Amino acid sequence: MSTAALNLSSGPHVNDRWTTKFVMYIVALSLLPTAVVGVLSHGLHALWIILAAVGTSVLAEFLFDKLCHKPDTWLDGSAFITGLTLALTLSPSVPIWLPILGSLFAILIVKCCFGGLGKNFINPALGGRCFLLVSFSTPMTLFAVDGVSAATPVAELLEGQTVNVTQMFLGQSNGVIGSCILTLLAGGLLLWTMDVIHGHICFSILGAFTLFMGLFGGRGFDPTYLAAHLCGGGVMLGAFFMATDYVTSPVSRFGQTVYGILIGVLGALFRVAGNSADSFCYSILIGNLFVPLIDMYILPKPFAYRKNALRLQRGEAPKPLVRRIPKAVVSLTVIALLAGLALSGVYTLTKEDIDAQKEAAAWAAYQEVVPDAYSFDAVEAAAEYKGQRYGEAFGRVTLNEAVKGFDADGKLTGYAISVTSAEGYDGDVTLSVGISADGTVNAISFTELHETPGKGSLAADPEFKDQFNGRSAEFFKLLKDGGADADDEIDGVSGATITSKAVVNAVNAALDFYRTVIRG
Amino acid sequence: MHHTFRGGVHPKEHKTRSREVPLTRFYPKGDVVIPVAQHIGKPAKPVVWKGDAVQVGQLIAEADGFVSANVFSSCSGTVKAIEPRRVISGALADCIVIENDGKFTLAPGIGQTQEGGATKRRSPEEILEKVQWAGIVGLGGAGFPTHVKLKPKDPAAIKYVIANGAECEPYLTCNDRLMREHPSEIRDGLCFVLSMFPNAVGCICIEENKPEAIEIMKESLVTDGGSIDNVSVLPLHTKYPQGGEHSLIYAVTGVDYPVSMLPADVGCIVLNVGTLYAICRALVKNEPLYSHVLTVTGDAVKEPKNFIVHDGTSFRELAEACGLDEAALKKALSGGPMMGFAAASLDVPVQKTTNGVTLLTADPVEDAQRQQTACLRCGRCTTVCPQGLLPQLMAEAADHRNFERYEKKLYGLECVSCGSCSYVCPAKRPLTQTFKQVKAEILAQKRAAQAGGAK
Repeated sequence: MSTAALNLSSGPHVNDRWTTKFVMYIVALSLLPTAVVGVLSHGLHALWIILAAVGTSVLAEFLFDKLCHKPDTWLDGSAFITGLTLALTLSPSVPIWLPILGSLFAILIVKCCFGGLGKNFINPALGGRCFLLVSFSTPMTLFAVDGVSAATPVAELLEGQTVNVTQMFLGQSNGVIGSCILTLLAGGLLLWTMDVIHGHICFSILGAFTLFMGLFGGRGFDPTYLAAHLCGGGVMLGAFFMATDYVTSPVSRFGQTVYGILIGVLGALFRVAGNSADSFCYSILIGNLFVPLIDMYILPKPFAYRKNALRLQRGEAPKPLVRRIPKAVVSLTVIALLAGLALSGVYTLTKEDIDAQKEAAAWAAYQEVVPDAYSFDAVEAAAEYKGQRYGEAFGRVTLNEAVKGFDADGKLTGYAISVTSAEGYDGDVTLSVGISADGTVNAISFTELHETPGKGSLAADPEFKDQFNGRSAEFFKLLKDGGADADDEIDGVSGATITSKAVVNAVNAALDFYRTVIRG
Repeated sequence: MHHTFRGGVHPKEHKTRSREVPLTRFYPKGDVVIPVAQHIGKPAKPVVWKGDAVQVGQLIAEADGFVSANVFSSCSGTVKAIEPRRVISGALADCIVIENDGKFTLAPGIGQTQEGGATKRRSPEEILEKVQWAGIVGLGGAGFPTHVKLKPKDPAAIKYVIANGAECEPYLTCNDRLMREHPSEIRDGLCFVLSMFPNAVGCICIEENKPEAIEIMKESLVTDGGSIDNVSVLPLHTKYPQGGEHSLIYAVTGVDYPVSMLPADVGCIVLNVGTLYAICRALVKNEPLYSHVLTVTGDAVKEPKNFIVHDGTSFRELAEACGLDEAALKKALSGGPMMGFAAASLDVPVQKTTNGVTLLTADPVEDAQRQQTACLRCGRCTTVCPQGLLPQLMAEAADHRNFERYEKKLYGLECVSCGSCSYVCPAKRPLTQTFKQVKAEILAQKRAAQAGGAK
């Protein structure tokens, strides 16, 4: 009976039953209903995407551990979650190699190369998604319903259309696999009540986002509008499952609140000013990058060193709670305002240069679409239409300017009309339409086109825009599925119906202006 | 008023096996081994020699200075040796070894009811002198000499005397039993202490998981001579570390104070119910501190029991009396699992501050090491820290050996080593253990710097 066998150690000698694995799999479990609804409403292909992403993530971590002789971490559940969340942020129509590539990037580059679990500087799943988005934008932003490409609810919202919030809530609308708000909300609230995720993060994101959208979204606190923005574009998935990622969020409660507000404000700002449907993922990534800074400087003092405790230690009366709250509110508001001001400041500072460049670009475009003109003169009748929405039939189209072109002998050679459609997929589309003296279209030229690279941007390719050249029609008609043969028919850019429609509308508006105002 | 503190954890209690077992006095059969240093402060100086005959309650080592405490014999017999022996901490420490004659003959005057009993009023000086004589130290676990605590700079500034009956450590039930079986002694002890401080009220704090003790202590406040107005019983939320000095003072007064301050600096004196019992016994029965309550428990013993145990009794005797399964024993703790110390062997003596012997068939620390993963930064440690610290960032600073940030920015020295962060960590990281080490290192560096500066 040797007693030397007793183990020596420093306390505590009892552990909670929560382990890393337990935490990870409880998060995975709370995402499962969303995945199931995603598969049910988007079809079996969604299941293959999820399995590919999860399988690749876990396998990549396994191989990395083995090759680098590290302790096995592939079963701890974190790779599983990375794969699952990545899959949920993908369109249900992406090819299978895409989630595989994204998972490899997320696990190997973002996570393992930076030291594995607990060391990654951004959320691996979002890192993977961002990588896919910039590298393969066409499949990443293609949301097809029954083989026909269509806009996601947020894209429609940004165009000023109304969307069906109930459908979004139930995950029935066009969007990523994990778009069922009902299950996301249920899962998120479950994690919050179990104290797995921090309410300070998710609720400050949602609060700041809603407040900012309400104040600057242009529609006030219209409940349907705000609900639609909250339900779309991954706000719920991001707020509950990605921004709350332990590794890439601050440790202190106040730090978490600041981080949440930053993400919420940026997310809303990108929605209001940026017109991109994918902006929320970037706002979380930017929030992630601020975490080391927040953890360095926002450190709460221990209870005994806080102001009220010091007063009590001196035997003075404590400050009542009501008088302490405003300070936190004020400082948080200041942070939010500063973030907004900084961004709008950059905008104002650069606006003048941008305007000058725009003008130069406009004149170059006029020359391009009325090539035989030697000099230009403004069409004075255009002044009273300038900057206003033109007509009702062309969507949100505004007329910028109209000019007459003369050849060296002073003979009228044609007109150039600059119009802007606000209904591009990614904001404004501005183009100049050249109309010859006999009323046929010479050519069109884009001066502003920020459409999705490889998709909407193809509108500037000769294949699409040269279709207008030399045609004369009362109004052009857009054919989504190709096969245009009549003089007034235009083939849309494949997969970029919204952009094509905006362009055709703008051209038609210019033609209408030419007929009704210039020719009288 | 607050009835709890912020943060904290809920470890499984494991108290049901022993909480209905009445206290019994455990008389050691073998030799008793009494360390001369059982308290914070200077070790006591032996006043007996090898071969001397001693009796129960006889002074065998004398306090060396004010912050020190007398040590008394807990059995009758002959001093066998005065030599270094292995004690709980694993170190060799000077001990007085007494060969036990098994008769437990009391020394003259010890255990005799004093004139006037508990009702006689005594002057503060008289009480202080008696407490100092009796070698009473804080029985909650720290072992700070009680007479030092009872002599604050300004007695008039003391507003609360808090009787700590929280017993938040899992497994332990001896204070629960003490309150249920000896409520009047605890009450009298508290009243003696209260009589030293003109502006103080008494507060008996008990966790809500001990409803019988709460009821009995409340009843004890109503005596034949009318009810005691300046003492109340305060039920507290059941949560660890509710019995910690900081948590308790916050629960009672709402005041937080840094570790650099003493409870007396914020007008509080906290005494364990066991200490109050000892104070009463010393004043009323002329009995110095040579025995105290203790729970022997854990899944390695068949019958957990609550004992009144004599100092110097070996852990082995206690364990065997409760049906120890030695083959299955893997870990022996002095105290409960949260703040207790692991003993290297069962052949170590019980000290004044030992309030439990927890014998386990599994080693949770070993399990934790096996399950350890990288830190997730989940923040559960921050949520539970009763001091409002950021254990996750402290551990990071400790790993980088950035002691400057650890101490100045993160206030790492405010850690009270309660173990809540380690307990709750899903990655099973040894947080508290790291903090204990870093604290020792920083304090050692400071002492070295001071010594260097003095030269």
